[in-house]
Amino acid sequence: MSDGPDAAALAVSGLRKTFPGQVALAGVGLHLRRGEVHALLGQNGSGKSTLIKVLAGVYQPGPGAEAEVNGTPLALGSAVAAHHAGLRFIHQDLGLVPTMDVVDNLALGQRYQARWWLSSRREEAAARGLLADLDAGIDVTALVGSLSAAERTIVAVARALRGGVSSSGVLVLDEPTASLPAAETGRLFRLLRTVAARGTAVLYVTHRISEVFELADWVTVLRDGRGVLSAPVSDVTHDLLVERIVGRPLAEFYPEPPSPESDDALAADGLAAARLRELSFTVRRGEIVGVAGISGSGREDVAPAMTGAIAWTRGRLAVGGRVIDSLDPATAIGLGIAYLPHDRKLHSAIPSFTVRENLTLPRLRAGRCGWLSLRRERADAQQWLDRLSVRPADTERVFATLSGGNQQKVVLARWMRCGARVFVLDEPTQGVDVGAKTMIYEALTDAARRGAAVVVASSDGEELARLCDRVIVLRDGRAEAELHGAALTAEAIGRLSLAGAVTP
Amino acid sequence: MSVAASQGPVGLGAGDTGDGGPAGTRRGLADRLGLARLSGVYVWALFIVVYAIWIPHTFLTVATLQSVAADQAITGIVALGLVFALAAGAFDLSFATLLTMSSVIVGSMMTAWHVPSALAILATICAGVAVGVINGLLVTKVGISSIVATLGMSSLIQAVIDRVTNGGEFVTGFPASFTRLASPEPFGIPVLAIYLVAAAFVAWYLLEHSPFGRRLQATGAGVDAARLAGVNTDRMVFVGLVASSAAATIGGILVTSQIGSVSPTIGTGYLLPVFAAVFLGTTQIKVGRFNIWGTIVAIYLLATGVKGLQLGGGEGWITDAFNGVALLLAVSLAVIGQRRRGGSRILPGGGVWRRRRARSTPTEEKPS
Repeated sequence: MSDGPDAAALAVSGLRKTFPGQVALAGVGLHLRRGEVHALLGQNGSGKSTLIKVLAGVYQPGPGAEAEVNGTPLALGSAVAAHHAGLRFIHQDLGLVPTMDVVDNLALGQRYQARWWLSSRREEAAARGLLADLDAGIDVTALVGSLSAAERTIVAVARALRGGVSSSGVLVLDEPTASLPAAETGRLFRLLRTVAARGTAVLYVTHRISEVFELADWVTVLRDGRGVLSAPVSDVTHDLLVERIVGRPLAEFYPEPPSPESDDALAADGLAAARLRELSFTVRRGEIVGVAGISGSGREDVAPAMTGAIAWTRGRLAVGGRVIDSLDPATAIGLGIAYLPHDRKLHSAIPSFTVRENLTLPRLRAGRCGWLSLRRERADAQQWLDRLSVRPADTERVFATLSGGNQQKVVLARWMRCGARVFVLDEPTQGVDVGAKTMIYEALTDAARRGAAVVVASSDGEELARLCDRVIVLRDGRAEAELHGAALTAEAIGRLSLAGAVTP
Repeated sequence: MSVAASQGPVGLGAGDTGDGGPAGTRRGLADRLGLARLSGVYVWALFIVVYAIWIPHTFLTVATLQSVAADQAITGIVALGLVFALAAGAFDLSFATLLTMSSVIVGSMMTAWHVPSALAILATICAGVAVGVINGLLVTKVGISSIVATLGMSSLIQAVIDRVTNGGEFVTGFPASFTRLASPEPFGIPVLAIYLVAAAFVAWYLLEHSPFGRRLQATGAGVDAARLAGVNTDRMVFVGLVASSAAATIGGILVTSQIGSVSPTIGTGYLLPVFAAVFLGTTQIKVGRFNIWGTIVAIYLLATGVKGLQLGGGEGWITDAFNGVALLLAVSLAVIGQRRRGGSRILPGGGVWRRRRARSTPTEEKPS
């Protein structure tokens, strides 16, 4: 892809950054060629976020760091200098305003075409031109809130590239697919390849290994603040990347699915809610059932509907033999149904509460006279943190400061503490690093072995194929297919999800 | 710098301090001295020392101590109620006019209709709680934002007050059984201060050491997450608003008893000091949370500051200026402190601002 070894769009060397009590970056180097998509891989805590923040000028690097953009030295630690040098950043929080349309969002932070008089026709034409240039096919008058997650990311990319930096610049994306369903990533990848083909260097931060092979030309792996691998993607394998990321040989990555018992723990009968039109399926005790489907198929509504988070318009649910016509979260908890939503900051837990408070919230055990004893609550919470090896195992830590994987473990522990018998998870490993993923899979498998019924709705076919005993594929609000045994493969899930879809 | 980049610290800082953000690891001398948690107490001590040196003859007297303790007891009781509403994520802007209304009702009942004081008090409390119930229903059942609901209610109450008092008649001449409510001073301690201490202990238990209080705080801190954890969030908001109204009503009755007359503007003077104290309270003791002892510290801190300035010859406007500055400073400190600690912007009362706001993911249905 590169025009030659000298065409370094961005070269960084000797990057160090130390926080009190922790070395975040221990001499990292990075070399991006023009027109290259360069993947930066690593677990949470490996230093990739720190690296991006140093590049963006949020953090000052330690002494000895050097950086060049297109051969010109760049002073690190200044956001203004980084911007002038042509570095553009797309953070996970895209910085778009959902209630404004695409035209206004594109103008935000840049400028409108006019200075004194805003002509919506002129602005729209400019925005349309910009998006057409990227072959994005997005209606510029649509509200950003009504766009799909992939389309919103595309708008953010278009805005970052606005102002004519495209060919000599560097575009940095920090885990743009973390909140994107797997089925929607294809569009974003096509766009990024278009951008790279024009000479822009793209630095793509991720922890989804499959994306590296799908998208990138070159891959750099960080672990513990050091670069442990930097190689062309054609020279590496999936297993090699996992080994380098985790730092140990690839052990049993996905545990064996448990063998289900005979009796039904949960049976949905003709449920209709939001985009679900008529959903019927059963889950036995000790079984892990996956729910697949493209976005809009109703997959996103399965977990909320099964747990009372959204109301049903029709249908019934049988839980452990009891038939229920309507459900709210408190009732669901009483029936032993646990819900792990995909949006941990908004729905799973209260970010500003401590780990302890989040753990005990659904079932607060007061002592005499209704007095909540902090000491007893702490001991109770500590025991659960140890059991699921949450790091740090500190009950008084604010929930928001935990990594994604540890947050998910805390929420899992919360429901185990309540003695949940049915676990309903929505995208359980979204935004979770490889190591914590294994822990979550093990915890789920373990819960199933103890007789719990587990429902996992996920856009990651690979995950479903390896974790589940059975997978139900939704299309248009209905369960259209069921896979199990040898037929249960990621490929089959993908094929059945898309079957009959108007646009892939 | 593009918008995406300029929002970097927010987006980046929110979830991944696992990457080594300085927030979680730094524990300095200041923390060990409790400077952050107890800064109000230090400032309070500073006020006392400064005034003691500046105006020893007027400031360092038993009368000053008694008047600060008694005057602020009513502010304190009203503030304790407001803490419950704000902790549940609901603003209550109607408590100040409700305080006036309670004063008018209890006063008129005793003087104009000669109702026995006990009955008048009971009826007034019922009326005050009814206002809280209406606020609560407007917010939880109809779904109006608490700011709008209580602002509208506040205006309605003002109309009732004006109608009843014919635009500002003073009422006096209460039975002794009523004025005795606020006047005793056992061992020189104003009885109002004793009421406040008792109320504070009850509120402290309810908010900070009972399952109910935890659920109430969870509702204010994250209404969706709390609901999905099985909390009846509507009930919590409802109870918070009723508690605020009940406390304001009791405050109205006590102030009427204390000053022995009804003034149609008595409540207005409480609006700002109470809000200032509750918000300043979130920077004390349990930082980042609406909490009882933080509120109490804040009230006496503000009162001492104002009292000293008044005794030192300050004019009437000094009280308003002081309270206004204190409120702005308190909330600024709370917000800055939160940004430095966690990076995520979880403001006190954040639940209010986030309530029912559309989320940016269209694939997600609003839980109804």
